[in-house]
Amino acid sequence: MEDNRGKKKLPGPKFCINDHVDILVEILKRLDGDTLAVAACVCQLWHSITRHDSLWENLCFRHVPSPPPSGIKPVVLALGGYKRLYMLCLRPVLNRLSRFGLRDRVDHVQLTLSLFCVDCYERLGGGGGKLGESSASSSSSSLILQQIFVLGPIQ
Amino acid sequence: MGPFDGGSSSSSSGSCAGKSPEIDGLLAGAGYKVRSSELSQVAQRLERLENVMVNASNEISQVASDVVHYNPSDLANWVDSMLAELTHPQYPPSDLQNFPHHDSWTDQIGNQQNQNLNHNQQLTMVSTMMDEEDSGIRLVHMLMSCAELMQRGDFSLVASMIQEMQVLLIRVNTRCGIGKVAGYFIDALSRRLFSPSSAVCGSDSALENEILYHNFYEACPYLKFAHFTANQAILEAFNGYDFVHVIDFNLMHGLQWPALIQALALRPGGPPLLRLTGIGPPSPDGRDTLREIGLRLAELARSVNVRFVFRGVVASRLEDVKPWMLQVHSKEAVAINSIMQLHKLLYMDPGRASAMDTVLSWIRSLNPRIITVVEQEADHNQPEFLDRFTEALYYYSTMFDSLEACGLQPEKSLAEIYIQREICNVLCCEGSSRVERHEPLIKWRTRLSESGFKPVHLGSNAFKQASMLLTLFSAEGYCVEEKEGCLTLGWHSRPLIAASAWQAVPDEPTRKRDREGDLSI
Repeated sequence: MEDNRGKKKLPGPKFCINDHVDILVEILKRLDGDTLAVAACVCQLWHSITRHDSLWENLCFRHVPSPPPSGIKPVVLALGGYKRLYMLCLRPVLNRLSRFGLRDRVDHVQLTLSLFCVDCYERLGGGGGKLGESSASSSSSSLILQQIFVLGPIQ
Repeated sequence: MGPFDGGSSSSSSGSCAGKSPEIDGLLAGAGYKVRSSELSQVAQRLERLENVMVNASNEISQVASDVVHYNPSDLANWVDSMLAELTHPQYPPSDLQNFPHHDSWTDQIGNQQNQNLNHNQQLTMVSTMMDEEDSGIRLVHMLMSCAELMQRGDFSLVASMIQEMQVLLIRVNTRCGIGKVAGYFIDALSRRLFSPSSAVCGSDSALENEILYHNFYEACPYLKFAHFTANQAILEAFNGYDFVHVIDFNLMHGLQWPALIQALALRPGGPPLLRLTGIGPPSPDGRDTLREIGLRLAELARSVNVRFVFRGVVASRLEDVKPWMLQVHSKEAVAINSIMQLHKLLYMDPGRASAMDTVLSWIRSLNPRIITVVEQEADHNQPEFLDRFTEALYYYSTMFDSLEACGLQPEKSLAEIYIQREICNVLCCEGSSRVERHEPLIKWRTRLSESGFKPVHLGSNAFKQASMLLTLFSAEGYCVEEKEGCLTLGWHSRPLIAASAWQAVPDEPTRKRDREGDLSI
């Protein structure tokens, strides 16, 4: 082939993505949730990068038909962060909505945020967790979402 | 009947060598060996057997537990043996001389054996199911008759009927369906009969009530629907106001308010200053529960940068609250939130002023921007016991049905206890101790309209949110409906809870644009 003829063989190390963290971050930012979780298992560097909340921020509102309300970031961060929002609320909600084919059509942001807020309140101990209930029932929001997971009919 | 060959007839090929030519070919293809000459006799005996089985429901359970199963592929003998067993139940099954083919049956192995067992079991199961269904229907009829007797005052008959029903209850599956509901209603009837004066189901402990309420919140969507719908109406009413004040008639754990705080935090133009006044019963152990809840809500509000002020008002009854306790300021927009509280005011003590009128009038005097009212959609305040009983039976059966869809334990069981307490209050209590005086939306509309309030339409956002909430919830049976601006949530087209919003109509023709904060009590 042509390219091999006059070409000098390049010495030194090949291109390694781990040396270019900014590119790595750009790539990881575009992954979906499950792949991101897998990526977190690749190596220490990837693991520490995927723990940054900003990666998950991009993921959270990617599919929403209308842009999220402004000023949402401090609220989400105060309530527990984007990663928690995604794992606890958005992911089950999106799974559920896609079963009904509603994933891209319905604006679920407000409701998801409300559920997330209820969860945060529960973690503060505000949901009656200190009144002697078992730990399994101390989080109202996570139980709502457990219901989504466990009991949903397959359409 | 002569002996049949022991050869298997279940396989289509193979061991047909020993078959007698008199065997009916069609039945043989289905696995049954019957001589063609005996077809009509066997058919007659089968009919007899059917009659016996349907009528002798008690003996069937014996047959089911009987270890010896007769080979139904040998249809003629099977029918005879079943008839013999059922018409003479004490007939010793171990007596083998009348069942010559027991040996040949035990010789057979494999599929044939399993098929035989399944067939027998299935037959028994079907009869048991029919038995159960019948028992369920009989229970309902008996409950209605018992309620009628109770209303007529025929207490000795009521007592004996209760006993009969308890016996019948053993036959029915009480873990779900009509059995479970019937169990609770029989219990309520016997409480009413035997301890009418002290008929408080469960204790008055505020702590217990809160725990049960919380589990009811978790187990089914009714309360969540109430909270989210009310919040949406309040949010829309607060549009454009910088000072807002929410008065919650029953704070409980304050689960409704985090979502409102978050929505206010994100509203375009920034959050207002939110004041929340929570009304709640006194806690017996000296803990200031209201204050604790308030502190947590304040912490949440602080974390999302919403200026928040909480105030707790302790009152065991809503009519004891006076408007000055609420400290409403003149420039703020007031929202009043009543989740299943207004019906408790419906008792008319003949000697005193109507509690409902008192409360409604001071609500009006506060000039709220919005009043959110959520109530059970049922007519449990009728004066005649039988009417209340009938309505409650239908209402709570539907509610228990919807609860079946919940798989969370212990939430589901505790939610059932919560519902059971409501049932007991509706059926067992009278006078001022009966607080669960539910009335349907139609009656509330009339009452509120006549007291100087006008309805506010809940809007499409509330409807969409409620629908989405239901989509996220598993069970298929829930349905949200919109009725003249109000939303109802129900199970299979029976509405169980209704949410509506109201505003006070300014009463004088010469209206003042801004009412001052002075409140006349």
